Amino acid sequence: MFAAGEEHRQKGICLMLEMWLGGLQGLLHLDVLGFVFLGMVIGLVFGAIPGLGGTTAIALLMPLTYGLEPFTALALAGGVMGAVPMGGSITSILLNTPGTAPNAATCLDGHPLAQQGKAGLAIGAAGSANAIGAIIGTVSVLAVLPIASDLVLMFGPPEFFLMGLFALAIVATATRGKMLRGLVVGALGLMIAFVGFNDVAGGERFTYGIEYLWDGIHLVPALIGLFAVAEMIHLMVKGGSVAQSGSPVKITKMTAGLLEVFKHMPTVIRGSLIGTIVGAIPGLGGTVVAFLSYSVTAQASKNPESFGKGNIQGVIAPEAAICAHDCSALIPTLTFGIPAGAEMAVFMGLLIIHGMQPGPLMLRDHQVEIYGLIWALTASCVLASFVGLLFVKPLAKITQLDSGILVPLVLSTAFAGSFAIDMAIENVIVTAVFGCLGYLMMRYDYPRLMIVVALVLGANTERNFHQSMLMGEGGWSIFLNRPISVGLMIAIAAVLCLPIFRGVFNQLRVRKLAAERSGP
Amino acid sequence: MRRFFGTPVVDYLPAFVLFIIAVIYLVTGYGYTPQARAFPVTVGWAAIVLVLLDITARTHTAAGETLTRWFNPAALPKNDEEGPHYARAKEIAAVLWAAGFAALIVLGGFLVAVPVYVFASMRLRGKRPLWFCLVIGAAATLFIWALFTQLLQIELYPGMLFPEV
Repeated sequence: MFAAGEEHRQKGICLMLEMWLGGLQGLLHLDVLGFVFLGMVIGLVFGAIPGLGGTTAIALLMPLTYGLEPFTALALAGGVMGAVPMGGSITSILLNTPGTAPNAATCLDGHPLAQQGKAGLAIGAAGSANAIGAIIGTVSVLAVLPIASDLVLMFGPPEFFLMGLFALAIVATATRGKMLRGLVVGALGLMIAFVGFNDVAGGERFTYGIEYLWDGIHLVPALIGLFAVAEMIHLMVKGGSVAQSGSPVKITKMTAGLLEVFKHMPTVIRGSLIGTIVGAIPGLGGTVVAFLSYSVTAQASKNPESFGKGNIQGVIAPEAAICAHDCSALIPTLTFGIPAGAEMAVFMGLLIIHGMQPGPLMLRDHQVEIYGLIWALTASCVLASFVGLLFVKPLAKITQLDSGILVPLVLSTAFAGSFAIDMAIENVIVTAVFGCLGYLMMRYDYPRLMIVVALVLGANTERNFHQSMLMGEGGWSIFLNRPISVGLMIAIAAVLCLPIFRGVFNQLRVRKLAAERSGP
Repeated sequence: MRRFFGTPVVDYLPAFVLFIIAVIYLVTGYGYTPQARAFPVTVGWAAIVLVLLDITARTHTAAGETLTRWFNPAALPKNDEEGPHYARAKEIAAVLWAAGFAALIVLGGFLVAVPVYVFASMRLRGKRPLWFCLVIGAAATLFIWALFTQLLQIELYPGMLFPEV
């Protein structure tokens, strides 16, 4: 009986390897590779333009794929999705303008590096972190996909609710020196996230009669405002150029940036694992993954004060996580038909128009296409990391443009990109309002990253809270009866108490040092 | 500068504004059904508590310093000790330039607002030569039009003043 079980397991492994290779073989055709490359170029461009990103790119490409074979269409989509993070990281670093929402985490240290004239170093590091993150993500997904259903089913609404709170808590503690202000801003972000139609109780909330707000505050226009517009207002006030040093842009450090990643392998591996594990949880998305990876890296660092001032690990951690997340986000999308984010929701539309219904049956019926898609996505991530570097030199000169030229051009593109998301002029107003808010937050030293995470998580956290309450028939015991929930609650308490413990520990250390100095 | 518990009064302003926002939010929230308001009201009350803690942490009192030590272990610098300070008039002007551009887009649409704003901003703020401002204004408009209207097939907003265009 044992031998029969072992034989069955070996057969399963052989079949899985066969499918992996089948997917890779399907990709190694000139025409398919051509579409992957085309998708990669489109992804780089759409990733670099604030407000567009992978969701818009796939939505626009969807009708154009009608005439393509399903495998080729998925290869094209994989090419787009794999390259978007690299495109977004270039503008994040150079202009503090995240091309896509997850790249907002890259701004925190990438842009200070650009201001110090180290744009090449930051972009090189982002490129290789992307590539390695994608490879680690792919390996993890290939290993996990066959058993993914069991893993995701362990998470229910109580765990998703607590995961949301955990993400908020850990990001708040990462805003070192400003944890209290981080929590205040997090609460403000949650309050904004509750604006709009409430699908739990029905009816709209906090819209004050404005029809546009029924859909809530749109995330991307808000992000463009918080980062791009706020930064341009700051540049107008400050004057000069983005690169404060005024010295020539040091693109020569790009190779050093590529190699820098290998000096920080634990950061890359940690970021990739966070991207892979958290990315597989529906509803959290790339933005949470990127900020979580950044926060955990800052927490784990021996020199946390350097984060936010141009620490290269602050670029590597989110970039590795974003690409790994892009791979693992396929797990809930393909296995359960639950999109891990907006990009995956649009991608599901593409699957459906090509006759593939996402869900457990897809894993059985379209394995070659699935593995082909994973390989295409990985290939695009790795290729884009190097092709993207070719565009860096001209783009890096942007950091030396005078604010008098740069500001109107960036604001024009930012507002047009914001409008283009769903062709609503109200998006432009949201961008302007969040731009002013973002500037005030910079001016009064409130961390902007907390508002982003709260905006992303707010609606889902509330939905999961209500579902948990329904499951527990109105009682809180639902959170105590499930081992993963209990583990998450302990983790949240530990994270929130961490600054107090650290403070006490530092005090004790100072006292000990003082005692040693004054000793005999 | 007037001080309150050892801290300049102006430093309390952001927390005070957030406090008012949270109160308005709570008042609005209590107008909804118990189920609809359950979570937002909880967050609203949490916001009020956090803002009050933030206000306390800003004071130079024993409680404020304890809070700062606990929740801000990296020793939060006070605003009056921070980096460069810019002239308030300059800050207001910068915010108005950005808000004015958004208003111009809403009124005149992208194809009017972009050249006008790029030209005006470069000429008045950037002090660039007239021909340069004209060329860059036209080029920026052409880029926006080519990218969005031609390449992406997105019809740019025509503006409230020219809805028929």
